[in-house]
Amino acid sequence: MYWKYVLRRLLQSILTYVVIIFIYSALFNTVMEATLRSQINEQLQGEMMSFAKSGLSAEELKEHFDNRKEHLYEIYHLNDPIPSRIFWRAIDTLTLNFGNASNIRSATGSSDVMEIIVEKIPNTLLLFLTAAVIDVIVGIVLGLKKAQKPNKRMDRWTSILTMVVYGLPTWWLGMVMIMLFSYVIPIFPSGGVHNVPPPEGGLAYFLDMLYHLALPVLVLVIVGFWGRAYLIRNIVLGTLQEDFIMSARARGLSERRVLFGHTLRTAAPPIVTMALMSLLASISGGLIYEGIFSWPGMGNLYWIAVQQNDIPVLMGNLALTTALYLMGLVVLDLIYGLLDPRIKVGGKA
Amino acid sequence: MEKSLEVRNLKLHYFTSRGAVKALDDISFDLYKGETLGVVGESGCGKTTLGTALLNMPTPPGKIVGGNIIMNGQDLLTLSESQYRRDVRWEKISMVFQGAMNCLTPVYTIYNQMMETIQYHRDMEKSEADARIRKYINLVGLSDDVLRRYPHELSGGMKQRIVIATGLFLEPNVVICDEPTTALDVVVQAQIINLLKELKKELSLSFIFITHDLATEAEVADRIMVMYAGKVAEIGSNEEIFGAAGPMHPYTKKLLVATPRLHERVDKLAFIPGVPPDLLDPPTGCRFYPRCSEVMPKCSQEEPPITEVSPGHKVACWRCA
Amino acid sequence: MKTSIAKKTSTGTNGKRFKGQLAALWNEFKRFKYGMVGLALFMIFVLIVIFEPLIIPFKETGTRWRDITYWQDNPVNAAPAWTNWFSAKDKTPQETLKATNIVKQEEPSADMTFIDAEIHYNYKYDDPPTDMAFRATVMGDVSFMLSLVRPDGIEIPLFDTYTSSSTPNDFRVSFNSDALDNIFEFATQHEDPTASFIYNKSTLNAMNVLFSKAQYGILDNPEPLKGEYVFKITAATIGSGDVSNLRIEVAGKVFGILGTDNAKRDLWSGIICGTKWALLIGLSTSLISVFIGVLYGVVSAYFGGVVDMIMMRIFEIVNSMPLLPIIIVMSAIFKPNLWTMIILMCLFFWTGSVRTVRSMGLQIKEETYIEAARALNASNGRIIFKHMLPQLIPYSFASMALSVPGAILYESTISLLGLGDATIVTWGQILQGASSGGAVLHGLWWWVVPPGVCMALMGMTFAFIGFAMDTILNPKLRTR
Repeated sequence: MYWKYVLRRLLQSILTYVVIIFIYSALFNTVMEATLRSQINEQLQGEMMSFAKSGLSAEELKEHFDNRKEHLYEIYHLNDPIPSRIFWRAIDTLTLNFGNASNIRSATGSSDVMEIIVEKIPNTLLLFLTAAVIDVIVGIVLGLKKAQKPNKRMDRWTSILTMVVYGLPTWWLGMVMIMLFSYVIPIFPSGGVHNVPPPEGGLAYFLDMLYHLALPVLVLVIVGFWGRAYLIRNIVLGTLQEDFIMSARARGLSERRVLFGHTLRTAAPPIVTMALMSLLASISGGLIYEGIFSWPGMGNLYWIAVQQNDIPVLMGNLALTTALYLMGLVVLDLIYGLLDPRIKVGGKA
Repeated sequence: MEKSLEVRNLKLHYFTSRGAVKALDDISFDLYKGETLGVVGESGCGKTTLGTALLNMPTPPGKIVGGNIIMNGQDLLTLSESQYRRDVRWEKISMVFQGAMNCLTPVYTIYNQMMETIQYHRDMEKSEADARIRKYINLVGLSDDVLRRYPHELSGGMKQRIVIATGLFLEPNVVICDEPTTALDVVVQAQIINLLKELKKELSLSFIFITHDLATEAEVADRIMVMYAGKVAEIGSNEEIFGAAGPMHPYTKKLLVATPRLHERVDKLAFIPGVPPDLLDPPTGCRFYPRCSEVMPKCSQEEPPITEVSPGHKVACWRCA
Repeated sequence: MKTSIAKKTSTGTNGKRFKGQLAALWNEFKRFKYGMVGLALFMIFVLIVIFEPLIIPFKETGTRWRDITYWQDNPVNAAPAWTNWFSAKDKTPQETLKATNIVKQEEPSADMTFIDAEIHYNYKYDDPPTDMAFRATVMGDVSFMLSLVRPDGIEIPLFDTYTSSSTPNDFRVSFNSDALDNIFEFATQHEDPTASFIYNKSTLNAMNVLFSKAQYGILDNPEPLKGEYVFKITAATIGSGDVSNLRIEVAGKVFGILGTDNAKRDLWSGIICGTKWALLIGLSTSLISVFIGVLYGVVSAYFGGVVDMIMMRIFEIVNSMPLLPIIIVMSAIFKPNLWTMIILMCLFFWTGSVRTVRSMGLQIKEETYIEAARALNASNGRIIFKHMLPQLIPYSFASMALSVPGAILYESTISLLGLGDATIVTWGQILQGASSGGAVLHGLWWWVVPPGVCMALMGMTFAFIGFAMDTILNPKLRTR
């Protein structure tokens, strides 16, 4: 039962991903090809330079150049009609063949776009996962407290605070905090994952990373947990009104057991969904945030790629981000299915 | 006969933003050991409220404002919430809920939930508890198989039986059944009723059977209590209410007349005109007087006392005073 | 006959039902204090937009934000004027000094007119201005000579310049650009010779020197000289030349209500101007996208079957695209202006309400009056628009209110990256200037804080309104 569900979800998202990549290809075809052509040109120029010394005449060189160009254009399908070109660009992306970056280089100096992007992924995850975990824990604690005494003073005031920070841009708060605590009162570093150069030794390295992690995570959590608490409060309140909660109380179970064992456990699927959704949203929306803190993650890479107009990196990053996002959605659904027996075990006996 | 439960002058109000709704106003009755007391009345007369009141779990914003619930000489209402939870709920008084569809937590198996309940109340060995659970599941006519299922996998009838089993397996003194068959189709209804009758015989528990369905009541109840607008209208034995002589209270009379008989031809359905009163501001005097066909001037001025017209048969009506 | 009956029932029952619902909604809404606060804040924002020309000192901010000549008399990176109240040192405020004692003297033999004027400046501050600019409206050939008589009696020649123009022209000379030689010489005359070695024209703080005591330390540790300063102007016009409106603009150390940025722009004007764009972007994006989303959900629910399946597949595809990266990539490549940005956002925002609306639509579809309408041969469009949509209006309001902050946020994010519409001023663009202008680095809080606070306030406003409506409409949140 569950495995059917898993399979279905996976297939669905793979299909969705393929469609999306085709859409990207179509949308950005012109730009991607312009880059491709100029890269081919560069490559050919390089080849011609080395040939120039071999003593061929100008016409022969030109002929060779044209032949090579035709050849490469054939391989990359650049002479085909548009639908075919879009198709081949999409295939490129789907096979993770992102090509080479125009300007950006990876930490090892490689210009392979895939490598450039993949080395950034752990940083992004480190930042947002840490913040999300803290967020959710605080959110659950606060949300439960709110749900137990709904519409009393604490509930009201925390809800108001939730609304106050609703439109607050986290990256702006990041800017302000950096200004305050990195420059005006220098406590925290102003950005990056490590000091340059990073300290030697396992523990020192780790502590240095924590030190750099502190301010970004702090800002994320300050803004984030209100919303979590509010949503959790609503979900728990909704669950508390169900008949089976009254039934559990009537059976003489302790309030603690009713709250955690029955209410929270039943509310777990929507709560987990919400937590994961907000994690996904914060990662995919965390571009600017990473940029503000010079945090070398995928989001920051976008910013740099935009500024340096490095199209291959931009496209590759977009494709990978989408893939990760979709994967996240699938994981979300699968976990939901695990937590809710109605899906895990299926229908009537 | 030994009394299982004595309820004296029980009052429960719902404190809403518009005022106090007097849902239970001075309810008194006795429940004898081994008998089934049926509680009947229209929607909104306070039947279900009575059930939750006996468990001291009134639905918010309700609060018990007066009265006694006496069991084994002790007034249960003097107990604290945690004492009530530990010693009374499910130990002495249990409840089979209306609409069992949603009474079982969807994320745990039946076995889990039943085991949890036992372990909360009794210090039993796991094997002993296991045996007890299986005994009662079988007693209500289900196979052991259902134990490892989740609630959503079971049909309405099966869930109702499980809820009944759960209500019984700690063998409390009093089992309150609140409309246990209303949400089910007639075939399953008949099965459940038969089951309850058998259990009553086997286990010698005391039942309070709440329903608005007179026919079911006539089947299962030994004694009947008719409620109207938060007050007791009439209490009598099955024979006294449903028998040839007929009930004494005008409301009960009307109720019986309004129930269509299967084999009688009916040209026009009889009904009781008017609507139940607003319990926020109930009428003075007898609460039924606006709809009563036997009304006297006195009825609108003073509340009728509860008169015992024959041993065990009590009526709250000026005509019988 | 059939259609007329249908008409009667629909307007009769649904029109009334709709009005009744709205009235009930308003009554409920009034109970939520924070909802009313939100509404009040919204009114304030609207008023700001309406009265914008009256509130801002620089009326052409909207069109001339990137025109450096418009802002030239302002100081660079100046803190707001009211910070002066809190600082120990008295900072020079922004001022315009008018010329007095204007004496014209004609010399017909040389076909010249000489104009002498004085500009008095009562300097009583500790922290001198950032710059001073001499300005006049000139026509024809004019030459100017400016010198300063300080309270301690020293006269410093400042500059000697000439201009020519056939039409009335605004003439401007900045002291920091053109008077440096003279000021530097004055400084070295009075400074400790050993100390003045490390200074030259480019490291000179001209204003500091001009307004400080002529003693050792005038270059690196000046003491303010307070008193009456008199600027002497001698202008000579040739032929039909004319000079008027002589004045000196003092670019203060502090400026305005919210200070200035590194391009000398008045931030108060910028922020007030940005309000209308924030409202416009937020409201139009949310209105359009929620409308599309609701319609989409209802249609999908109503038609069901294959239509529903296809529509939901499309919905899933759009929903699975990570919003911000796509918007950024598209903005980077297609460089949108304001309206294309709004359309771009709507292309993705509409998915927000679809799921909820669809499930609500599925419920409404089962209601008997829908069946009745079908039985009366009402068209699909009619059923959707007259029977189903009106019921979703309260939810739509809540949804709209709650998506406004998101739209504003996205626009500001795009602007922060420098991809926004360059013809307008938005809060995001001000922040972009702050980010690239090193405001964070230098602690220029008046540049960084206000735009974000405004965004937060506007977000808060719509959050108050939206949450209040959400609480009313969501039955599970009713606590018994």
